This record gives sequence, structure tokens and C-alpha cells, in this order.
Amino acid sequence: MTDLAPPGGRRLDYPVSPHARRGGLQAAQRRIGMLMLLPAATAFVLIILYPFAQALGLSMFEDTLQTIEPIFVGLDNFREVLSNPDTWQSFLLTAIYVGTATAGTLVLGLGWALILNQPFRGRGAIRALTLLPWVVPSTVSAFIWAWIFNSRFGVINGMLLELGLIDVPQAWLSTPEGAMVAVVLTRIWRSIPLFMAFFLAGLQNVDGEQLDAARVDGANNFAILRDHILPHLRPVLIVVVVLGVIGGLQDFDTIYALTGGGPVRATAVLSIEVYRKAFEQWDIGMASAIGVLWVVTLLPPAYFYLRLLVKGR
Amino acid sequence: MTKITKLMATALAAGIFTVGAAQAADLSWMGYSYAEDSAKPSVDRIIDGFTTKTGLTVEPIGTAFGDMQKTMFLRARSKTLPDVAQISERWLPMFSTLPGLVDYNEVFGKDYLAQTYAPEALAMGQFNGKQYALPLMSGSIGMVANQAVLTQAGITELPKTVEEFKADLIKVRDTVPNSVPYAMATKNNSDILVDFLMWVYNFGGHVIEPSGKVVVDSDASRQALTFLVDLMNERLIAPEIGRPDARRLVGQSAAAFYLDAPQSRAFLRSFSGQDKAFDVNVKPMQVPVVHEGDEAVSIQWAHLIISFAQSNPPTEKDPNMQFVKYLGDDAVQTQFPVEQSALPGTISARANPVVADDAYLTAWAQNNAHPQVNEVGTWNNGGELTEILAEEVQAALLGQKTPDEAITSMSQRMAASMTKAGFAQ
Repeated sequence: MTDLAPPGGRRLDYPVSPHARRGGLQAAQRRIGMLMLLPAATAFVLIILYPFAQALGLSMFEDTLQTIEPIFVGLDNFREVLSNPDTWQSFLLTAIYVGTATAGTLVLGLGWALILNQPFRGRGAIRALTLLPWVVPSTVSAFIWAWIFNSRFGVINGMLLELGLIDVPQAWLSTPEGAMVAVVLTRIWRSIPLFMAFFLAGLQNVDGEQLDAARVDGANNFAILRDHILPHLRPVLIVVVVLGVIGGLQDFDTIYALTGGGPVRATAVLSIEVYRKAFEQWDIGMASAIGVLWVVTLLPPAYFYLRLLVKGR
Repeated sequence: MTKITKLMATALAAGIFTVGAAQAADLSWMGYSYAEDSAKPSVDRIIDGFTTKTGLTVEPIGTAFGDMQKTMFLRARSKTLPDVAQISERWLPMFSTLPGLVDYNEVFGKDYLAQTYAPEALAMGQFNGKQYALPLMSGSIGMVANQAVLTQAGITELPKTVEEFKADLIKVRDTVPNSVPYAMATKNNSDILVDFLMWVYNFGGHVIEPSGKVVVDSDASRQALTFLVDLMNERLIAPEIGRPDARRLVGQSAAAFYLDAPQSRAFLRSFSGQDKAFDVNVKPMQVPVVHEGDEAVSIQWAHLIISFAQSNPPTEKDPNMQFVKYLGDDAVQTQFPVEQSALPGTISARANPVVADDAYLTAWAQNNAHPQVNEVGTWNNGGELTEILAEEVQAALLGQKTPDEAITSMSQRMAASMTKAGFAQ
């Protein structure tokens, strides 16, 4: 009888092929898993991890047009950035932008999903059309809204003048509040399709009989929404809020194309501040420091989202 | 080999071939004119003429004006700088630290350059005693009026003082519906900078001295900004207008005045849709001054050519040096600048009848006889200074700050920036 004990290992009670690799099936699966992970991991390292590590390094250097070779300054850039009131204003503006845009999208996206969940003629076509703002490139969306809000040729001014509600065209994008409202509205308009799709998918899993029973018991629409639909959509709500917050924190192109961060600094969120430091003031060290802080603000929602994905709740 | 493998191999080979072909050019020329539809054909003619004359090939790289600094900055970091680049005169100090920048005095000799180029145009290419750039075309930023709008408003004479200017703006506002009488740049930092500088200069003030000392906190600056805020309050200027918007408004006869380089004529031909028929409406004029008889000031403006050494030390035989020399040739200087409605940089081209007999260019030169250097954009930290100035001007124009508060804040912030850049205040 053949000796089934592997060299130095415990004795096995079943035959093992001489071609079998050490570690068995689980190890082989792990190896295949690692192999399949390799392309994504490589892309992650090259496109995200390496540039981030580089930015992290640069954030500790004085690196401007005036410095031929970057000069190591330790945490000085962070000290300067954090002692600058403009940075804190950018944090505040980012919070306002992300908070209002996410809340607005949540309410309107849910409302629109509830409407599109009702049976009516042409529902499929409207569902498809609703995706348009999501399909249109973000810069194009920004230019469309810039035209809508334009102080001379804008649609809003045109309508208000026509209705006699204003005597002279208003410069909506030239007030801090107007500019912020414009960028938030643009963000909401662009994000509604994504939120709506999530909610619609969730709504289609709601038990219709349960809702019918609630109606029979005398529940009105608001009660049904509050007591049956929203609890059912809770996991979806959490995911879309986290995704909305992450997307809002990352947003740059819409704001830059619409207001450039102005007027003055009224819409200079963190992403705009990084761009201005890097490509208008040519201060790569300082831009990297703000960028690192920006990533830090992204980490909690990203962690929360990943935790949800991994744990499934 | 599978079809997919074959396809990938073909694509790879094609890619390598394309890269090889791109690198096969004798020199690369990066510029913003090549990115402008109106100027691209002229650039192509320059390249064709050079290739015909020398047998050398040029790879043109078009980059939008607004992206030019960023692109050069990034290319310097990735060590892919072009052999020759077109820059605005105010960027020269910023680019003077780039590695391999050629001092043309060392290649062509000071005497040759002095004999070839107009002195004030040549001077714009000098920094720290080196001739880092040569003029492709030059001129100044000055004021332009739209004759059609003036006629419609019943204005028969161009205004000479700020008082007359404001009176004319009111006439335009009241007679030309939905117009912006003076299309001042009120958005985009670099546009606001030029417009504000112009008024500070013409109110007798300065922003930064040549030593680096910030001097914007002055009565003249306050008066200039107060004047502009007054124009905004009276709806004689409007928010949300950048230089391109101003050109469109003037080209469509919806604005009477604006500031621009002499290229204005070329832009207005395009934006009016009337081509050369619109030339009769394009009137170069002096920027209005505070008191009649004061010297009207304009701002220096030029397109310059810088180069990066192809050999060490660079010589006249290098392809890029041959190209730079060709750009000073009459064949180029009597063609490209004139097509762009700007003055050539060379002495002989300026004497050429094509240029000398151009009434517009002559009028431009007469009305803008005293150009001053851009006191903000020329510093290495010009980007930060420009942002500070534009933010404070915008804050005053939009009523977020009084002119006094804005000038005080501007001065303090600029002084801090200059101190950080190593200039004692």
C-alpha cells in the first residue's frame, strides 16, 4: 500500500494525486482569486494608490514654480492650510453643497421613483428619458444650467421678464446664494436619475398586498409611505445617501464649469480649492495638502459604504 | 493567432508607428494660436513656409490660451517641454525658471537682435538681463469703441475723460435696449486683472513697484475702484462678463466700449458675422483719463516665442533656432501679425506698406502710445496675486465689500503673498 502521508505531514486516509498541489482546493481557489484580482489591483495601485502616495509625499514639500527642486517642509503646508480661514470656508461650503444637494436629490429622487412606480401609459418611455441627465456629460449639464441662469440671455430671466415679475435681468450667478443654489440644483438634476433608479428597484420589491391591506385598514398615502415604504427602503436609502455624499465630495467639473468657484469664493469647495492652488497659483505642495485633507473627508462615508457592502446591511 | 490577438498586435504596431511619426518631426511648436480657428490656417502657412525653405518639419501642438501655463507647467514636470513655445508677455518671468530655456543673445547675438526687432517689442522678451523671448507680434491692450453703437446713442465724439466716458455710457444705456454700455470684464481672474489695472493706471496709481513692494493701497486705487463700483450700480457695466463675452457683445453691437489687444479687429470681424465689413465700426481710442490732458496709459501686450535647447550649447543650426529665426522673417512678420490685427515685432515688417498703410494698426499705435507693464502678472506668484486682486475687485463690484475695504484687504493679502515670495514690504 502506498504511503499517503505527505512529507512531514499527517497521514491521509484517502489517495492524493501526485500532481495535486500543496494546500488543497481552498489554496487553489485562493490562488485563482488572487490571479483574478490582479488586474483590478494593478489598476488600483497605478491609478489611485501611487498618485495618492505621491500627493501625500508632495504635501510635505514646498513645490512651486519658484522652487526648482521641491524643498521638504514636513507638516508646514498642513499648518498653513489649516490656519487659513479660506480652507475652513471651503470645508463649510463643501458641507453646504454636499448636504443640500444630497438631501434635495433624496427627496426629489424618491418622489420621482414613487411616481414612476405607478402604472400609467408611457411609463417606460419616461423612465428612459429620466436617465438623460445622468447620461449627459457633467460639463455639458453645467453649461446648460449656466445658460439657464445667464444674466443676459438666461431662460429664467426671460420668463420672469415676460411675466413682468422683474424689470431688469437679474445676475443669479453673481450673488453667493444664487451661485450656490445654481450649483446645487445642477447637482440635484444630474443625480436624480441614479437615486431614482435605486429607489425604483427597491420599490418593486415592496409587497403590494401589504400596501393594499394597509389601505383597507384606512391608511392614507402619507401613512403608507411613512410606515411601509420607507422602512422597506431603509437599506437603499442608506446606500444612496452614502453614495450621494461621496459623489458630492468628489464633484469638481460641474462647479468649475458653472461658477469657477465664484463669485469671489462663494462656491470654492475643496475640489475647486485644490485646482486653484495647483493650476492657478502653481503651488503643488499646498494643493496636495488640501487634497490629502479632502481625501480624509471622503474616508468616513467611503468606509461606511464599504462596510455596508461587505456586511450586506 | 486569434483574430483578437491579431487586432491587438496591429493596433500596437499602429500605435508605435504613430508615436514614431510624431517624434520624427525636427521640432515641436506649442502655441495657443494653433488652437484658435481664426489663426490656425495662418500658423499652418508659417509651418509650410518654413518646411519649404529649410526642409525641416514642425510638429504643431495647439493648446488653448487659458490652458497654456498649466500645460507648460505639467510638461516641464514630465520633461516633455516643446522645442518652441508661444507665450503671453506676462508669463515670461514665470517661465524663466524652466530648465533649458534659451537665451537668444547667446545664439543670435545682441547686435543682430537689436537690428532686427523693434526696441520696445524686444524689451518685452527680456528678463534678468537675458533675452529669453522674441516677439512674434506686439502691441498693447487698449480701449475699443463700437461706432455703430455710438451713432445709435447720438455720441459724435469719443470720450477723453472719465466724466465724459460715464456720460456717454449713460446715453448708451438709455438709448440702446438691453445693452451693456461698457463690457468690462467682471468674471475670470485674468480678465478682471487687466481691466482693473488699466483704470488704476489711468487714475494715476500703481499696484506693485518693480522692487516687489505692494503699493495698491492708495487714493488713486480707491478712486478707480469707486468709479467702477459706481458704473456697476448705474448698470453701465454688468456682472458675469469675461473677455470672450465682451467681444461677442461688442461684435453684436450690444456694447459700446471694451478693453482688448489689437487683435480686437479680428475677433470682432468673427463675432459680428460681417467679416471685414464690420471694420468701420471698430474704433481704437485712448483710455479715458481723470483730467483732460493727462497721459492715457495702456498695458503692454505681446505674443512671444521662447525655446528650449536642442543642443548644448544651443546654436543657430539647431532646427528650433532656425524656426525661431524664420519667425522673424518678413515672410512671417508681414503675414501672421497683420492677419491677427497686431503689430509685427520686427523693424522691417513695421516699415512694410502692408503694415504701415493699415489705418487700424496706425490708429491703435497712436492711441496707445504709453503702454505700461502688467505689474501683477509678471511675478512668479502672479497666479496668487491675480486671484487676490480679482476676488477683491469682484467683492466690491458685487457689493460684498466697500471699495475702501476691498483695497485695504487687497493690499494686505498681496503684501503677504509678496513677503512669502521673498520681497520685503
